[in-house]
Parts: sequence; C-alpha cells; structure tokens
Amino acid sequence: MNLSASIRGVGYRFTSVTEVLAKANPPKSGDDLAGISARDAVERVAARAVLADITLAELRAHPVVPHEIDELSRMVESTLDEGAYSAVKHLSVGQFREWLLEPSTTGPTLRALAPGLTPEMVAAACKLMSNLDLMTVGAKCEVVVRANNTLGLPGRLSSRLQPNHPTDDIDGILYTTREGLSYGCGDAVIGVNPATDTPESTAQILTRLHDVRVRNNIPTQHCVLSHVTVQMKALDLGCPMDLMFQSLSGSQKGNKAFGISIALIDEAHAKMKAMTSNRGPNFMYFETGQGSALSSDAHHGADQVTLEARCYGFARRYKPFLVNTVVGFIGPEYLEDGPQITRAGLEDHFMGKLMGLPMGCDACFTYHARMSQDELECLKVLLGAAGCTYLMSLPVGDDIMLNYQSTSFHDIPSVRRLLGKRPTPEFDAWLNEMGIMDGLKPGERFGDPSVLK
Amino acid sequence: MSFTRALMENLRVKLGAMDPLPPPPPLPEVPFPPSRVFPTPRRRSAYAEAAARHTTALVGIGHVGTRYATDVVLQFQAELAVAHAAVGTELPEDWAEKNGLLPLHSRVTSHRQFLLRPDLGRRLDEASLARLNEKARKGVDIQPILADGLSAVACMGAGLALLAHFTRECEARGWSVGTPMCARYARVWLEDEVGQTVNAKVAAILLGERPGLGTGDGLSAYLVYRPRIGCSDGDRNMMSNIHARGAPPEQAARRLAVLAGAMLDQKTSGVPLNLAGLDLGDAGGGGYRAPEPRVRLVYAGDAQDKNTKERA
Repeated sequence: MNLSASIRGVGYRFTSVTEVLAKANPPKSGDDLAGISARDAVERVAARAVLADITLAELRAHPVVPHEIDELSRMVESTLDEGAYSAVKHLSVGQFREWLLEPSTTGPTLRALAPGLTPEMVAAACKLMSNLDLMTVGAKCEVVVRANNTLGLPGRLSSRLQPNHPTDDIDGILYTTREGLSYGCGDAVIGVNPATDTPESTAQILTRLHDVRVRNNIPTQHCVLSHVTVQMKALDLGCPMDLMFQSLSGSQKGNKAFGISIALIDEAHAKMKAMTSNRGPNFMYFETGQGSALSSDAHHGADQVTLEARCYGFARRYKPFLVNTVVGFIGPEYLEDGPQITRAGLEDHFMGKLMGLPMGCDACFTYHARMSQDELECLKVLLGAAGCTYLMSLPVGDDIMLNYQSTSFHDIPSVRRLLGKRPTPEFDAWLNEMGIMDGLKPGERFGDPSVLK
Repeated sequence: MSFTRALMENLRVKLGAMDPLPPPPPLPEVPFPPSRVFPTPRRRSAYAEAAARHTTALVGIGHVGTRYATDVVLQFQAELAVAHAAVGTELPEDWAEKNGLLPLHSRVTSHRQFLLRPDLGRRLDEASLARLNEKARKGVDIQPILADGLSAVACMGAGLALLAHFTRECEARGWSVGTPMCARYARVWLEDEVGQTVNAKVAAILLGERPGLGTGDGLSAYLVYRPRIGCSDGDRNMMSNIHARGAPPEQAARRLAVLAGAMLDQKTSGVPLNLAGLDLGDAGGGGYRAPEPRVRLVYAGDAQDKNTKERA
C-alpha cells in the first residue's frame, strides 16, 4: 500500500492508514488537541492524495483501532455483509467518492450497500468531499424506519421535542411539551434529558408523557434519556417506554467510560424488544458526537471523524429508530467555531446515512464556542436540504438544563416551509386534523397550546 | 462577427429577443395599516403566566408567521450577550487569597488556551504543586476544591456558599476536610492531581458550569473516590445545575455529602457506585419549587426598570 505523495516536488511520507485518515481531515480543534492533525494545508492535501488511492479492501484490513484491543472493530469485521462489500471492495476511495456522486447511484442502491461498508470506508470518503458533496450524497440516501409513525420518507423533515427541565418538574416539562406540539414539533420523539438519573424519575416522566400522547392521540413516541441501565430498571418498574436511549462512543475504551459495552446494549435491546410500548419494529435511540472518544482519552491516535463513523458502526447493529449527532455540544476544544461545527454536522449526517441509519442532527453550539446565531440558523437549512431525518426543537432553542443553543420550536415549521418538507405522514395528518397546520402553512391553532388536552 | 458571437446572436433571436417583453403586471396596493403588527409591549399570554410557575423555558411567546415577534428577538439577543459576557469573564489572580483560599493554578496561560486545551486545565503548574505540597493538609477524608471552570461569575457568586455548606455537611458527619482552596483555569480532572497530592479519600471539585442563555451563575460538582491522575469520567459522580433555578447551594451541599458518604462506605465511585436506597431527604430535589422568573432585559427609551444604571 502506497503511503506517500508529492506536491510541487516536496515529498510527504506517512506511516499508517490511521495517520493518513487523521491528516486528511479538514481542520478541527479536537484533532489539534489530540496532536494528530496535518501541520498545514499542503500536508493535508498530500494526505488526501494518498487516501484517494487506498482501496476499500485496504481500509477494511486496517481499522483505526486494532481488533486485538477493541470489540467494536471485531464486531464490525465479523458482521459485515460480504455480498455488499464485494461489490465495492476494489474501488479506491477517490473512485468510491465519484461513484457515490454519480446520479445513477440511487438511494436504494446506497441502502443495499450500507451493511457492506466499514466505518473507516465511510469516514475516508467523507474526507475527500466538500460540504456540497456531502449534501448531494446525503440527500440521495433513503433510510425509512417505523415505530408509532414512519420516519425518513422522502420530502419529510421531523423533529425531536426536547422539553428539558433543571429539576425535572413534570408540569414544567408538560407545559413545554404542549407548546412544542402546537408548533408542529415532536414527530421523531418527545425526549427528555433528565436532571436526576434514577429509575423512579425516569418511569414517572415516561408515564406522564405517555398520558399526554394517549389523551391527544398523537402518533409519536417518547423517551427519557437516562443511562441505559437506569432505563432497564425503569422498565422493571412497569412504565411505558417507546424508545430506549444511550450515548455511544467510537472505541471500546470510550464506551467503557460511558459505562457500556456491546454485551450490555445487546441485553438492553433484548429487554426492550420484549417490553417496548411502541409498535416497532425499531425502538432504539442513540446519540453521538465528534470528540467524545478523545474526551475520555479513548481515541487511540485516530481522528474524531473516523471515531464518529465507528459510533455508527456500533449503532447499526440494533436497527435504531433514531440516531443523532449532538454536533456542537461538547465544546470548542473539539469543534471551535461556526465553520467547524457546520462541517461536522454535514459530515456526520452523510456518514450516518451512508451506513444505513436514520440520521438526525442536533445543530447546536455552546455559549463558549465561536458560532453566531445566524451561522446556526444557516446550518439548519443546510441540514434540511441535505435530507437530514430530524432536528431538535426547544423553546427559543434554549436548553435550560443542559445550557446550550439548539433548534427552536419556531425553526422547525420555518425550515419545513422554506424547503417544502412535511413531518412524518401520520403526524402530518394529526397536525392538520388538530388545526395546527394547514398543509405547509400555519393553521388556525398554530402556536396555541390550549389545543392540547 | 466571431463564430461564438454569431451563435449567441442566433440563440437570442430563437428565444424571442426581437419580441418585446409583455408589460409587467401592476403591483398591488400596500394595505394600510399592515395587518399583523403586535402592539408593543405585548401582554404575556395566559399560557405563559401559568407555565412560568413551573419552568423558566420561554413558552407562550406567540409567533409572527412561523418566526418570533420583535420583542422576543431582542430579549433573545440580550440573553445571548449575557451568556457570552459570562464566558469572557476571568477569575481575578488574587481572588482566592482575598477570600482566604489556597490559590492554585492549572498549566493554562490564557483564556483562549483554556477553552481549547482541556489537557492543560487538568494539571497543576509547578508553583501550585509546590504550594499544595507545602501548605495543604494531607491524608484527609474529603478534599473540596472550588474552581472557575467555565464560569468565573458562578465561582465568585454562589461558589463560596457552596464550599462553606459542603464543608459544614462533611464535618457534621465526622469526616476530616482538607484545606480550602480555589483553582484558576481549572477543568474537572484537576481534582485527580490535587486529590492525589493531598492523599484524600474523596476529591470534590466545585466549579462554574458552562453558561446558559441569560445566565452564567450555575455550578457543577464532580466527586471521585481515591483520586489519582488517570481517572476518567466513568470514575466520577456529578451534580449539575447548582443555582437558584436548579438546586440551591445549601440543598446541593447536603446531596453531595450523601454522595461522598456512599463513596466512603462502598470504597468506589462512578459507574460501580450503587446509588439505590440513598437517603437524600429533601436534598433529592423532589417536590415543587417555584422557578426564578425570567427577567425582561430590554426596554427602549427612558428607564422602566428600577435597576437601570446609566452606562458611562
């Protein structure tokens, strides 16, 4: 395998696939922090030139974390769809990029290919793509999943309603929930990050959200995003649970820091399969985000884009209903500013979709990152145009518990109207029946939470 | 005429360049007055009033089409400015000493570096390590560490109260508590090196959490059993939202002491720590407490807010 290139007569030599992948990455403060990024723009192009000639088969043979020390690498290797893989294994990454961009490579073809791709292949293609390349391919991917409604159909843009509260005051959570529903938000999930991570409070919030859903006959699902072990105990308490949640990392060591393993998620998945209150067949919900591995010193010298792709390699084992990257959440030490957060949002959406996941994005910034509100609003439109499955939604985009800025209740109908997108068909029908929406236009009861019981 | 120009000319004729465009349709009259302008300032909706008894989330704010009314936009921008100002505030060099705390400093040398290099914020600089070795009490049960973290505003605000309440709760349980100290440019994991140096059973760093919209007064606490360099997030237990809208310092201190007690009993922390059956009492955060109302920040014209000060 060739690991060297020359640009204007200057030679560049790399020592491993992991190094090539890292140096081919566009600038990210997290890669600088890890000390693995290209030293300048020219070296970055040299790394990309090397990467463009590496074949997908060579990438399969060189996962960024070796099999011997990582159960994720082993699981991806042993569960890869050999048939799908053999159709593309001979392509170089450069050829793979071009094949992805060909109009004749359609959504169904990409969906069939997904189980044959390793995270490293997807991450490699990502590094050779511009933002508009990422959007072009992302928009072609079709990943449709079903729980109480059907997510990911063409021409649809869904949203998670996120009614978080710093003390889990259930009435406060429900006031925010009703407000969000009256703006047409919440068709992906009504999902609460709890302040208190206990089985009892998880069960209580789920039960009360379930009541609202049933009383108003809303075709959606609910979730409380406590640790997976806490949710398993909550299930034992006998509460309804439409989706089960967990944050994932891109290496075994990173997952250990999250208190999880493949065996644990297998167990949670089996329990949920037997006990979920949704109609299925999809019932898991995962969150990811560039930088999570490095933050627990679990990156093994790999860059954060490749590690992010490895989270998707983990997630797809469970055919989840929802996966989203929380793109600007961890902070400026991983994604410093508007351009880096924007780029990462489009990368993560592209990689997740290409691996066959119903990929959403929490387009967001923390207040110590250098991203303006205008830049964030632009990203929401870019993600919508790229076919992103869902965005978040909060009152004025303000999470009063987790302290960051995301998508607002008002942004969801705005982006939908701008791009001609609708919510899931079941939820769309419900909104029209309730008078909240009139097709793409706000209906008589739009923004009026008293419409909900 | 060149060949290309001839081609272009031909194409123009084909597209109808010889025919004049039809006259544009007449523009509509602008209706007067514009149909959907809200009176300012608007009254809060009944829903907003009711919700405000339970949450500080901005609900019941109405809409213009699918967007915000102007006063909502201005309130949002003012709150954003408050958050950014809190992020930019730094802990004064002499603040720790002035408040009777042993001053510590991480290896970070500038605010921007603090944001981009958490690795440097997790380790003490040489002078601080020497000072800690020389002056701090060793072999304690609990070592609390106050720190700026991502909000020096919060550290200087409720930080001292939280430290005092937590120390009192620990001493009341008969534990030995380490020298009071305050670290500048500190990240959570700094507690590992500090705790290891003073040989504490439990280290507890109390630090400013990242500011939220319109705020910057929140503290978080991270506790770890047998602190040592190399501990990770899975080894820690944490509590966030220590502020007037979440858990006030006195209540939070009690809860943290219960947590520290569990660590001392079970001789572990983080994921393996069993939290079932802990008696948190009213420190559990259950029960109703009215949220602090969200303050209107923007008034145009003469001061309507009695707290207004003239800007020099």
